[in-house]
Amino acid sequence: MTTVTLTINGHEIVAEDGLTILEVAKRSDIKIPTLCHVQGITAEAHCQICVVEIAGQEGLIRSCNRLAQDGMVILTDSAAITTHRLERLAILAETHFGDCKAPCNLTCPGQINVQGYIAHVAKGQYEEALRLVMERNPLPFSVGRVCPRFCETRCRRLLVDEPVSINHLKRFVADWCMSHEIELNIPKDASTGKRIAVIGGGPAGLTAAHFLTRKGHDVTIFESSPMLGGALRYGLLEYRIPKDVLNYEINTILRLGISVKLSQKWGKDFTIQSLKDQGFDAIFLGTGAGIDIPLEITGAVNPHTYSAVKYLRRVAEGKKPNMGRRAAVIGGNNIAMEVARTLIRQGVTEVTVIYPRSRTEMPAHQRNIREAEKEGVQFLLMASPVEICDATSKDSRLKLELIRMKLGEPDAKGVRLPEPVAGSTHTLQVDSIVSSLGQVAVADKFAGGALEKSIALSANKTLDANVRSSQINIDGVFAGGDAVTGPRSVIQAVVSARRAADNIHAYVMGTAKEEAESRFNFTRGKGFEEVDQKNFDGIPIKLREKMPTRPPEICSQDFDEVKLGFSEKMALHEAERCLSCGCTAFDRCDLKELAISHNLNINKTGMGTTPVYAMDYSHPAIIVDKNKCIFCRRCERACEYDAVELGAASFDDKGRPVGLILGFNDKCVSCGKCVDNCSTGALNKKAQTIPIQSEPVKEVRTTCPYCGAGCQIILRVKGDTIMEVTADAEQAPNYGALCVKGRFGHDFIQHKDRLTKPLIRKNGMLVETSWDEALDYTAKKLFELKAMYGPDSIAGFSCARATNEENFLMQKFMRTSIGTNNIDHCARL
Amino acid sequence: MASLALSFGSGAMTNSIADIKESDVIMVIGSNADTSHPTIGLRIHQAKKNGSKLLVIDPRRTGFADEADLWLQSNPGSDVALLNGMVHVILEEELWDKKFVEERTENLEELQIVTAKYTPAYVEKITGIAEEQLRAAARLYASPGKKCAIFYGMGLAHHATGTDNVKSVANLAMLCGKLGVAGGGVNPLRGQNNVQGACDMGALYTTLPGYSGLENNEAFDRYEKLWDVKLPRRKGKAATEVWDAILAGEIKGIYVFGEDPVLADPNALHAVAALEKLDFLIVQDIFLTETAKMADIVFPAACYAEKDGTFTCTERRVQRVRKAVEPPGEAKPDWQIFCELSHRMGYDMPYAKPEDIFNEISLLVPQYAGISYERIDKVGLQWPVPTADHPGTPVLHIGKFTKGLGLFIPEDYTSPAEMPDADYPMILTTIRETAQYNFGSMTRKTPEIEVLCPEALAEINPQDAARLGINDLDTIEVSSRRGTVQLRARLTDRSQLGTIAIPYHFAEVPVNNLTLNSLDRLSRSPQYKICAIKVSKIEA
Repeated sequence: MTTVTLTINGHEIVAEDGLTILEVAKRSDIKIPTLCHVQGITAEAHCQICVVEIAGQEGLIRSCNRLAQDGMVILTDSAAITTHRLERLAILAETHFGDCKAPCNLTCPGQINVQGYIAHVAKGQYEEALRLVMERNPLPFSVGRVCPRFCETRCRRLLVDEPVSINHLKRFVADWCMSHEIELNIPKDASTGKRIAVIGGGPAGLTAAHFLTRKGHDVTIFESSPMLGGALRYGLLEYRIPKDVLNYEINTILRLGISVKLSQKWGKDFTIQSLKDQGFDAIFLGTGAGIDIPLEITGAVNPHTYSAVKYLRRVAEGKKPNMGRRAAVIGGNNIAMEVARTLIRQGVTEVTVIYPRSRTEMPAHQRNIREAEKEGVQFLLMASPVEICDATSKDSRLKLELIRMKLGEPDAKGVRLPEPVAGSTHTLQVDSIVSSLGQVAVADKFAGGALEKSIALSANKTLDANVRSSQINIDGVFAGGDAVTGPRSVIQAVVSARRAADNIHAYVMGTAKEEAESRFNFTRGKGFEEVDQKNFDGIPIKLREKMPTRPPEICSQDFDEVKLGFSEKMALHEAERCLSCGCTAFDRCDLKELAISHNLNINKTGMGTTPVYAMDYSHPAIIVDKNKCIFCRRCERACEYDAVELGAASFDDKGRPVGLILGFNDKCVSCGKCVDNCSTGALNKKAQTIPIQSEPVKEVRTTCPYCGAGCQIILRVKGDTIMEVTADAEQAPNYGALCVKGRFGHDFIQHKDRLTKPLIRKNGMLVETSWDEALDYTAKKLFELKAMYGPDSIAGFSCARATNEENFLMQKFMRTSIGTNNIDHCARL
Repeated sequence: MASLALSFGSGAMTNSIADIKESDVIMVIGSNADTSHPTIGLRIHQAKKNGSKLLVIDPRRTGFADEADLWLQSNPGSDVALLNGMVHVILEEELWDKKFVEERTENLEELQIVTAKYTPAYVEKITGIAEEQLRAAARLYASPGKKCAIFYGMGLAHHATGTDNVKSVANLAMLCGKLGVAGGGVNPLRGQNNVQGACDMGALYTTLPGYSGLENNEAFDRYEKLWDVKLPRRKGKAATEVWDAILAGEIKGIYVFGEDPVLADPNALHAVAALEKLDFLIVQDIFLTETAKMADIVFPAACYAEKDGTFTCTERRVQRVRKAVEPPGEAKPDWQIFCELSHRMGYDMPYAKPEDIFNEISLLVPQYAGISYERIDKVGLQWPVPTADHPGTPVLHIGKFTKGLGLFIPEDYTSPAEMPDADYPMILTTIRETAQYNFGSMTRKTPEIEVLCPEALAEINPQDAARLGINDLDTIEVSSRRGTVQLRARLTDRSQLGTIAIPYHFAEVPVNNLTLNSLDRLSRSPQYKICAIKVSKIEA
């Protein structure tokens, strides 16, 4: 072999003669980007991305068709090259039309791959859907019940009819897995030997513990209450989150292997210092915001006036505070709504929520307000409490003095704060009062040792943790959840704790934090008003499934769950409503990858804004979205059957196709190779409906189970599901070629018709049995036959589809255990 | 497989798939690789495009026939006559490789004697192939000095004279010296992923693993020592003979591992009758197959994606199979089931993992001696691999045949076991569709594949159809002496006049209820490719 010696980016490289610069660089692990190159084939018209500089030669030179020569000095990433590539990428991006991520996904505070789990549901892969949710949210049961559903507010299905009921689907998959006793087998990294203390066993603490344990750390949760759950247990009562469901959810997390210390009060039973002394490498504070802001009016201290958190907790603990017939709830936040609904369930006949502004200004989610109202809660708006006195009449215990409020003049920010209307007092006769004026993390200072006292607090009486590092002012101590943010939704606590877990991992391992996912995103339109209605041409109206709900007049009489959950059919129908906005080529799109690595700002340089072409579903296995095509022509070159029809009516001044033609002729054998080679999401496998984002994907190299050609295939596995099948263009014997079976014919693996239990014939029927019974019975019968008729009365058929090892054992079994050469297989069948 | 071993000493594909691009001439006989081995079919088309000559012998107008430089549309079941005719012409025209024959083969005289009567005129009467075509084919294949490969599939093997067909192919290749060279060879295409491996592993009634035969006492001694057990040395029964043995009361219990004879066996109704008579039927499978429905015990097995192991493909390449996902429910890998059952039968097979089994295979099977999981981690090796540093064998029989001298085994033409007559005037042949596989239990679970190939269509020549008053997509009834199926017709001249081709993938069209359980006398292979039928249109 003759060789050439050349220099690329300052590295001297000895390479086989006769290779292109691109190939030489690739073999030396120097990546020259390209959008149009197909292994072994050089394009005529090309993408101009793979250009390099060669010393002594003018201009930028294509590396994909220039042979590497002795003595060449090559640069692959000079400023001039980068500028050129950016220009090229900007031109391509300008007409590329689609969404990288779906709006639901982008809107979710948890950045959950919403479209992905909906698509799993549509395929009946509930277990995988739940695993996908749990990649980012370990509390799907709770969040699936109480989430304010940020995602649904951005669902583009609204432009057709109604948004997809995303959250109900999340709850469905969680509940389905619970009722089917699915073991999720969530993977865990090898043990790091690091010990981490999590203080607080509520949503934030459980989340941090979950993700830290998955990273291989040894986690102990310290919880002050006798049970885990925090606000999920003591703030959201049975009718919202049934406690058997919560216990199941918590157990799912604990099964990863987490130590728990209950009834351990921070500051009393242990301190930060004592934990450090015990050898914990880091501490996470997830103590929530469970301290009520007190009602500071005259007479507020009396036996019939409660604060919200305390009241809910008492009810959750099974104590039944006597609230009388009439109760007032002071405050308009979400917790106030829970208090009001709980009071109703306690048998209080008149529950009045008092709030100084109008209904739309109440901080509670409108959905919660509506539900409280349906259950009979009344609202006294534009009113504020002034004083509480003992009642003078016999039929009530307290007298609540109120004053009318009006909106004042706008302040500097334009906010109109309520002001009392002088002299407009009003009295309410009640038996009890619960105030919910907001919650903080700590009343004054944390108690305990010197470290506790030194903890810096924000103006809102929450922990002052660094937004980026999650660390508080003590080294190795991190915080997240409501303890930092004040009361927020469960999903927001989850996100905050997940970030803190990432930071803790980086801290204890002494590594840099994993880079945050790029926010780069092609979009069909950020707001609804920017989205072209043409996107939805031909999509028939199909209204959302209605969540089966107990009627308010009935459900308000007990603490049983109000919402009953989707049936499987409803979930499937709902999942099918998803418009699949996000790109299913998310994990393989070269255009996006290059745009990100070159810092292309498409918000400035531009992207497609309107669909020029209709989607083409006519191929049995492949979907064509010409709006995403950048005319790299890789599909055409990669196809070994000359089956791809690619062309354009004309080209614009920047060389981009106008009147694009992209389709398949009758030579197509549906081998799918074109899809694997597509540089964007213009070609997609019909069955691959699940965008893969940052979820870990395992690539398993194996041999195709069909004909005797022995094609090597790669199974791409996420969780326990085969997502798609690809092939390696450089591997014998098939060198990337596959047929339709090898590419697509793997649905049988996880098909519902698979045998899952041994069967035995009893009374003429095949019935399920245990392995022990099946094997014992079989051995007994075989012994009997041998004894009565001799070993040659038994014959075995081996299997030309099973492995060598298994065929070897089958014949060994027949020849040894049975003692016959009656063994054969279907080689000739 | 059986007959190539007699001729060469090894029954396997002699060459490699990658060789195809080096062939000057490719002769395809009885194989429609486009549907049965698509990625190999692709390489043949590419070679043709790059200048290789393509010679096709097939009653059906396959995709290869469309592209062929020369296509001989011979009568079904006439291959021995055709191949003998080619040999006759090659001898007569002195096109054979005298040096090769002299140095590397034996029994040429016998070949000369047997083929003497296969004059082009005689051959034409049997095959329907005119003299000029026969001569052209013989000259093209013989092309002295050129690399010529033969590929064949089940179209050659699935006959009552299947082994005669294969021996005749071997005779032709040896006569022309086309063996032991890249780009040449005799290449049977294995129908299933691990037919080659199942044979290598001795899942055969005639031999221990590694083809040592049942007569090889030395091998038995070795096995008995390693396995610490007395082994039976009397011959067993072929799978296809088992049914009669059951009906005769000789066989009482069957252990069916991953097969579905109720659908797969020729004259399947005969197999069903036998299964019903059994005392005890064990089925081990991934689905509740038609056979499993009749079982006394069904063991749920893991599929290929749920276990580790190796397959050996048609080019003798031993390749890894790797676990990707968990088996469903309580299903277990087959090897574990065998171990557990064997333990209960009082014979321990204590393997912890498939690799342990493979290591035992390398110890016992000479062709696998130099293979380990480590060596085939990235790329598979082609056996024989006699030692741990041997690079594998892409081309067999270089310099010398496995058995020493190649043996010419000439055979006379005998007509197929059942030919059309007045009552059953047409021929049925069974075929594969690209998108489907075997009896569809795997492929038919994928919606895209069902769109591509949703039903069995009986391919009938338009002239036959016109005669029978059948239009495209009419429902017809096809009957043989053994059974009847109903399906829709597809008019196409891919089917030879007088022949109907039906894919066998569809349980709703159990075409093997029609086929003949007439077996080859050596290999006991059935004659799937020809049986006499009658066809009628069903009025709607």
